[in-house]
Amino acid sequence: MKSPIESPEGDWWNETVNRRETIWLGLSGVWAVTLFGWMAGWMQFGEQNQVGETLKLSTADYREKVNAYKQGAGDLDGALVPAGDDVYIGAMRYAFDGLPAVLETGREYVFHLGTYDVQHGFSVRQEDTLSKQLSLQMLPGYEWKVPMQFDEPGTYHVVCNEFCGTGHRTMHATFEVQESVPDVSGGSGSGESDGTGGSDAAYDGWFTGDARGGAAGNWNGSAVDETGANEVTVTVGPGGEYVYDPAAVRVSPGTTVTFEWASPTHNVLVESAPDDWSGHEPIESEGFSYQHTFESEGVYTYYCQPHLALGMKGVVEVV
Amino acid sequence: MFGLETFSYDDEGYRDCSVTGLRIHKSAEDMVKLFGLTAIVALLIGGIFAIFVALTRWELVGLLAPADFYTFLSIHAWNLLIFWMIFMEIAVLYVGGPYILGRRLSLPRVAKAGYALMLGGAVLINVAIWLTKQPNQAPLLTSYAPLPSSPWFYLGVVVFLTGALVAALPFLATIWHEKRENPGQTLPLVAFGAFITSIVAAEAIVGGLITYVPTLLWRVGVLAHIDAAWYRQMYWIVGHGSQQINLLAMISVWYFMTHVVGGAEVASEKVSRSAFVLYLFFINMGAAHHLMSDPGVSAAWRVWNTSYAAYGAVIASMIHAFAIPAGLEIGRRKRGEGGGTFGWLWSAPWKDPGFAATILSIILFGFLGGITGVMMGQMQLNMTWHNTLATVGHFHATVATGTTLAFMGLGYYVLRLVFGREWIARPIATIQPYLYGGAMGVTSLMMMYLGILYGIPRRHPSVMDIPGTEFSFAAARPLFVIFGVMALLSILGGALFVVVAVGTLLGGDRYGGSLPVERPTTVADGGDHDDTAHHLLSMRGTFILTSVFLGVFVVMWALNWYLLSQLWQVG
Repeated sequence: MKSPIESPEGDWWNETVNRRETIWLGLSGVWAVTLFGWMAGWMQFGEQNQVGETLKLSTADYREKVNAYKQGAGDLDGALVPAGDDVYIGAMRYAFDGLPAVLETGREYVFHLGTYDVQHGFSVRQEDTLSKQLSLQMLPGYEWKVPMQFDEPGTYHVVCNEFCGTGHRTMHATFEVQESVPDVSGGSGSGESDGTGGSDAAYDGWFTGDARGGAAGNWNGSAVDETGANEVTVTVGPGGEYVYDPAAVRVSPGTTVTFEWASPTHNVLVESAPDDWSGHEPIESEGFSYQHTFESEGVYTYYCQPHLALGMKGVVEVV
Repeated sequence: MFGLETFSYDDEGYRDCSVTGLRIHKSAEDMVKLFGLTAIVALLIGGIFAIFVALTRWELVGLLAPADFYTFLSIHAWNLLIFWMIFMEIAVLYVGGPYILGRRLSLPRVAKAGYALMLGGAVLINVAIWLTKQPNQAPLLTSYAPLPSSPWFYLGVVVFLTGALVAALPFLATIWHEKRENPGQTLPLVAFGAFITSIVAAEAIVGGLITYVPTLLWRVGVLAHIDAAWYRQMYWIVGHGSQQINLLAMISVWYFMTHVVGGAEVASEKVSRSAFVLYLFFINMGAAHHLMSDPGVSAAWRVWNTSYAAYGAVIASMIHAFAIPAGLEIGRRKRGEGGGTFGWLWSAPWKDPGFAATILSIILFGFLGGITGVMMGQMQLNMTWHNTLATVGHFHATVATGTTLAFMGLGYYVLRLVFGREWIARPIATIQPYLYGGAMGVTSLMMMYLGILYGIPRRHPSVMDIPGTEFSFAAARPLFVIFGVMALLSILGGALFVVVAVGTLLGGDRYGGSLPVERPTTVADGGDHDDTAHHLLSMRGTFILTSVFLGVFVVMWALNWYLLSQLWQVG
């Protein structure tokens, strides 16, 4: 008996191997070579190879690259139209900077993938055929240039599929692929403020989930009254929470409000305002601060673009 | 130990196992019991958390809020993928070394110290995850830097890994003493497999320490920066390496269990041992498939590591896939229990849960886990698998189905042969492997479909509603129903194992020593036949079965490439 729990006796190395086991060894070897050969061949002849140059750079430098790209890009109904063949995407908790975008069919773009904070995933699928999907890793400190060309027009949905924090599931963006993209001149602004300024206590439900984005986690039903103060501070993302603190503040005309960043990757975008306050669009991190003096009476509603879905919303009410 | 002894030892601390003929020393037996029972506690904790994870992803129920989901998922992952496995693997090493060689366990105090460190690390990890607070995030299995987790978590990992390394030393010392005393003698195959397992384990654990010590220093502020690509490459040495310990330990268990319960013999010592040596050199590179869609490593690095390395290990696995059933076939043919092509299978002890769990482990691991592992290890195919639920399906097929079933099968015989107790509730014990294996197999399959055909991301508490958008994965809802029901059934199957195991320990009768096969084989006892050379025996049943396997392999491979070819142009 040849037992696996006893030492083999005699010259076990030179015992004849069963013919069928020998055939199986041959089949296994042939199969392994086939697997490798096919993969190597696909590098030469296949159309799907996730290869491209990788650059090492700081997250701040990459953010500047994305900003420069956005400055140069055209605007089509709020989506970016790349000026050349490069498409920049900067992932951050919990949004994709650089999207939405409009691309053309049959044109080879170079996708630049990078992040501003932690690891993210670039998982893309076509809207009506979920099985046509791929996924690429996005790392902070690296810019990966992956060429892609789309032949089928339609909406392509991007979700983050690398865990990046509690708001991970909300991280979604799209790009549109069209047969032809109208010529739009570069240098658009962000321009999303179509004011509806209500002034009742609930600010038209701005802090609830009925408005854009999620419900604000720290809205307790009333604004903090700072009328008469010359200077007021709003903390942006205190303790890593996705809120502005206080959520709503009531001030007198001429008050200077200082927004102090206490955690990474936030901005201040204006939802509605009685005058032309434009907020602070660039994404900033802790240590940054931004000031604005509110002159006109009325309700200013604002939000953080990456964290709107998590209810990061605020109000300055000037009375 | 634990007052659960049924055997008495002689003055030197040995006893002879009447069933396997092994000479067993108390020092090894105590440690096997200690590590084995701790493993079952981890299985219980991980299993309880599995209920919450499954019922959240099955959004018809949608049990947990997002933040809680990640906490529960992390505890589920660490207890089942790490603690259940590694505590059990140390027990497997102590069986593969001292038990098989008939020796006492060398350095028993080191074994106890290793156990204490492992237990302390495991408790620290669980508590740190449970108490996660902003700005820390639940670590999941991977704790990808620079996303921060609690510093106590990283400390716990360092302590646990150190403990596992320490606990492996007594095994290596035992082998060393054996080779000093019997320099000319070949190690038995199972001991050889355990030895290779320990080397692969040591590589993985050292890789883990190289990863987690700097990460801990970074988290507490000693190091200012941690590179995400460096972290990923280092992490996967232990992240996947720990699962390769599972693979090797499981294969050693397959050889052991098919022999003890099914009467298998070694088809060819040369071929099986060569396969273990292939693992030694190549399997650690299998971890490279986690970086196939990463920017941090070059295309040449990726192709190199998925070619020479992975296929060295793939061939090794295919060898075992043939050698183990072939060993069973010839072993049973020799005993006259194998008429025709498949008679050796029909006559096998399918009602014995130790045997059934082992065979189901082999089949499900190969068809579901092995094939999918090779698919996602092909560089280009990896794009369609990466971070989808399909990868979760893959490792539930390998670890949760394959390895867990093998360890359950071994567990049934640890109850009999180490604790000396007969199983309680025999009918439940008989159906348990089928219920668990079947349900977990379908659960894994559903996750693979959801990932590949619908692109469902892993690590999402919900995909039917993405806040702030009209897009969702609602088309996948029917498959999630099957997934949810089957996940609950597999948790029930796992719970039944714990019930039978704990019930047997507390209230089982004394084990009477009956086995489905007689050991050793009558021919070896000087019966009326000669011990036929193995190349003269028929392995035709095995050859047909493995040919079916290869056929499925080829078809799955072709389908995956077809799916990839339908994508837009990349690269």
